Amino acid sequence: MTTNEHPAKPKFERRQFIKASAMAAATAVANPSSGFALPVLNPGEPVLDVQWNKAPCRFCGTGCHVQVGVKDGKVVAVAGDKNADVNKGLLCVKGYHVGAALYGKDRLTKPLLRQKGGYKEISWDAALNLIADRIESDPKRFAIYGSGQWTIPEGYAAQKFMKGGLSNNHIDPNARLCMASAVTGFLATYGVDEPAGCYDDLDACDVLIMWGNNPAEMHPVLFSRVIDRRSRGEKITLIDISTRRTRTTEACQHYLEMKGHGDLAIANGIAHLLIKNGKYDKKFVESYCNFKSPNDEKPNLHGKPISFDEYKKQLEPYTPEKVEELSGMSADDIRMLADLFGNPELKITSLWCMGVNQHTRGTAMNTLIHGIHLLSGHFGRPGDSPTSLTGQPSACGTVREVGTLAHALPGGRVVANAEHRKHAEKFWKLPDGRILATPGYHTVKMWEKFCTPTDQGGDIGTIWVQVTNPGQTLPNLNKLFNPSEKLDDKFLIVSEVYPTATTRLANLILPSAMWVEKNGIFGNSERRTQQWFKMVDPPGEARDDCWQTIAVAHRLFERGFAGMKDRDGRFIFEVKDKNNQLVPIWKWENYYDTNVDQHLFEEYRQFTKYKHKDLAPYTEYVATRGLRWPVVERGGKWRETHLRFSEGFDPYVESGKGVQFYHSTTKDDRAQIWFHPWIAPAEVPDKDYPFMLCTGRVLEHWHTGSMTRRIPQLNRAMPTAYLEIHADDAAKLDIRNGDKVKVESRRGELTLQAWINGRGRPPRGTVFIPFFDETLLANVLTLDAIDPFSKQPDYKKSAVKVSKVKR
Amino acid sequence: MNPETGQKFAYLICFAVISVTVAGYFIGLQSPMNPIGRGEDQGATRYRVAGKSQHQTKNSNHQSADAIAATRYADMYAALLSRSQTRRSHLKDLKSSVDSLAEITITDSQKQFALAMRQQNRAFNGAPPTIPHPVEQLSTQTCMVCHGNGVKTETFRVSKMSHQFLANCTQCHVEAVPQNFTATEFGENTFVGLPAPTGGARAFPNAPPTIPHSTWMRVDCMSCHGPTGLHGIRTAHPWRQNCQQCHAPSSKLDQVQLDAIPQFLPPPKIVK
Repeated sequence: MTTNEHPAKPKFERRQFIKASAMAAATAVANPSSGFALPVLNPGEPVLDVQWNKAPCRFCGTGCHVQVGVKDGKVVAVAGDKNADVNKGLLCVKGYHVGAALYGKDRLTKPLLRQKGGYKEISWDAALNLIADRIESDPKRFAIYGSGQWTIPEGYAAQKFMKGGLSNNHIDPNARLCMASAVTGFLATYGVDEPAGCYDDLDACDVLIMWGNNPAEMHPVLFSRVIDRRSRGEKITLIDISTRRTRTTEACQHYLEMKGHGDLAIANGIAHLLIKNGKYDKKFVESYCNFKSPNDEKPNLHGKPISFDEYKKQLEPYTPEKVEELSGMSADDIRMLADLFGNPELKITSLWCMGVNQHTRGTAMNTLIHGIHLLSGHFGRPGDSPTSLTGQPSACGTVREVGTLAHALPGGRVVANAEHRKHAEKFWKLPDGRILATPGYHTVKMWEKFCTPTDQGGDIGTIWVQVTNPGQTLPNLNKLFNPSEKLDDKFLIVSEVYPTATTRLANLILPSAMWVEKNGIFGNSERRTQQWFKMVDPPGEARDDCWQTIAVAHRLFERGFAGMKDRDGRFIFEVKDKNNQLVPIWKWENYYDTNVDQHLFEEYRQFTKYKHKDLAPYTEYVATRGLRWPVVERGGKWRETHLRFSEGFDPYVESGKGVQFYHSTTKDDRAQIWFHPWIAPAEVPDKDYPFMLCTGRVLEHWHTGSMTRRIPQLNRAMPTAYLEIHADDAAKLDIRNGDKVKVESRRGELTLQAWINGRGRPPRGTVFIPFFDETLLANVLTLDAIDPFSKQPDYKKSAVKVSKVKR
Repeated sequence: MNPETGQKFAYLICFAVISVTVAGYFIGLQSPMNPIGRGEDQGATRYRVAGKSQHQTKNSNHQSADAIAATRYADMYAALLSRSQTRRSHLKDLKSSVDSLAEITITDSQKQFALAMRQQNRAFNGAPPTIPHPVEQLSTQTCMVCHGNGVKTETFRVSKMSHQFLANCTQCHVEAVPQNFTATEFGENTFVGLPAPTGGARAFPNAPPTIPHSTWMRVDCMSCHGPTGLHGIRTAHPWRQNCQQCHAPSSKLDQVQLDAIPQFLPPPKIVK
């Protein structure tokens, strides 16, 4: 057999030619007798020039690490990071294509100011002056609307700028729309935010219950971690409690369909059966739990204490048959769930995300899931965990930990607490009393005030939006976003990377750097803090959001604005180098003279010990693929924590305690098991609007699609939003696949194509629209009713009517 | 005209009408609603994807906005196949063309062609390929039927899965042209992906080349370099099973964390 070896055709580039010549010369010198140098075949292969470096993925809250390949100042390839605990080398299709998100042709590269008939390119200097003017003229009516996509230093700088600098608490993030109810759920139950477990539970659980959750599409890497275990021969029971069939359903043994808000009844039904059958964990409950029910006169997260007997009595109406009536889930399935929770041999992990959080009783539902885990003792062991997931890469890191919410301060503190304000003033070296005690406006209120004319009480005049797209994601857009267009004295500033549904109404657009165009730190769903370095330059005049905040702060400082000075009269963002020399980080050309991220992070670290969310020094994160807090130094090493509140895992649990809820709201090291009644959704289908509309995401697109829709592979696979409708409902309305349908709610209408038996399959009476498409805004239809505790809206239950559009 | 002749004429007219009706009914059944006057473009429909125009063969015609032709039941199967751009196979072509012992010669142009083919559905070297045919939206079980082993006939090639079994196929692989949507470009993108290497480095002529790509998620070399792979990148010696015995992977590309400078014990101390 002969083999035709493909002859090498060396196409030498100059550098390689020089290299090869030098090698030839060296070889000739070393061995003059040989007379020839070994030829270098296949020289200059492109892979060899690629520099690889780690970064967390830009998209969801899973927090996968990627290896980013950079060549000639551009990202050219992405690989799953094999050494990352989160994803172990695997990614999803968004992650593999994340590099292309930087290179959409319409990247914003210049500051743009709205003028009559269009936008004018202006200089950064003029832009900074404009913002400083707006703030100086009325600092109390200024607001910042941020994001769970802010890096930790970006959110921290904005937080300090607003609450410490402007004495203004009107700063709230888009995460209010996403996981505010998870926060209130954790606080009401454990007295401190964020999950006790972590992703390792997915490797240990015997039963995985997904509450209104579709991880096969939304957190695919985590979902694969479980179903790949099964394909290796392990036995895991997957249960999908949902309002529609999804890709997740297909991998589950049980699909338990329910009506919207049925989850409240189901959780109560499980608790009722656990007690009735004597299958609850008496020892765990007696040692570690109290009981609470909501205080109807004065609703708050402390509620009112009740006894076990009162708790039992309140659950009595929730018999399996009654629950079946309320939820639509069969009584047998409720008994099956109760039997699973009643089996102490099993390890049960619950996952939930938007289905439970975007819920007008979201706080209640979060506490009920924690409640059944505590009641049954499925808590505190690997695999036994109630774990809420987040949708944004740093919803936990930047929003929940840095506290960029209208009522919060860094490290689990709140503005209403005098002691907490004192801590912040001390760390920020501010004069006493600088921080206001009254919480600012939460998201829905902030935008409502921005859309209300000034003379009618609309006391927000300017909003600066960073790293998010409220023009697409706010509920009821015709009330909460669109009216601002007609109010001439309102001013919308948007820092963005691409034109979006938000920049559409912006008065000033600032071009931003994104992802590996800047240094950054994210915090993912499992308490993991992840760091990366800048790898490529941003295009044109695009600049870091963190620099933008600091530059505006310094512009105000230059003008003598008192709030931008600390108690010694120094700039609040002053940074000194190793030689104690001032680095002018407010000038863009000097911003990367030092690592601003590191300076801000080390300052922020001081805040984290108070609630035992200790972070390690910046350099520790450089060396790892993230660490889960509390990260505590023991034996000269920084060690992360897998499982909080459990002895043997959490260094803050006293020995001999077993499980210790050391931030208990009742100060007795106990968690609170809540009773909350079933309450109907804020809007239910009726004669005029007979369908329940659910909105959500799809695998290919992340958030509002402003990044993923510019990636050809993703955009081609999922080019447009659509309406999912049951085949029987479609037949009744004479709707066929691909037909244009009009969807109307009491708030707006939308015309789009129907997709029957497609990606998801809703039951009769339910329809679904994904919200990623900026030309087909699902949120003109949604309701702006909010949870009373978390102020988070419900995007999953709006009544609509559907009709075929006649051609 | 006498009444008898009139009756005969009436019979004749009735007969003619009934014949035409019956004939027309069957003709109509056979090809319903065929638009007239398509000329030579008949049977072909065109759609645009990614700036490239592609042809699809269909017996029915989907071009006219006002007359959408129905597909004949007899042609339904072929129409479904053509939608997935799968070539219609004749029975004789269905025979497997996999011959593991065939002698392999590869020209440089064949190699370039194979690499270009691979690039068509990958954003960069190492990206998960997009799927060139429609997929079932909810279930990924069917993927393994074909991609578990790979298939190659005269007209048809199904690649073998190169990585270990992972249960959620559509997590990484999405449809290149979705069945249910007309794909349009939303915003252009200037991302230039890392091209595939054309070969590994050799220490000397005829030395086994090193592996120029990562081996992570590429467990089975034979999926690309074996008999069901593209010809231009096939191995000339498929009977040798232990590829990495001769072809060295790159610790850097494989993200091996042990890249340290080799250390040595100190040399013997010479005392004078």
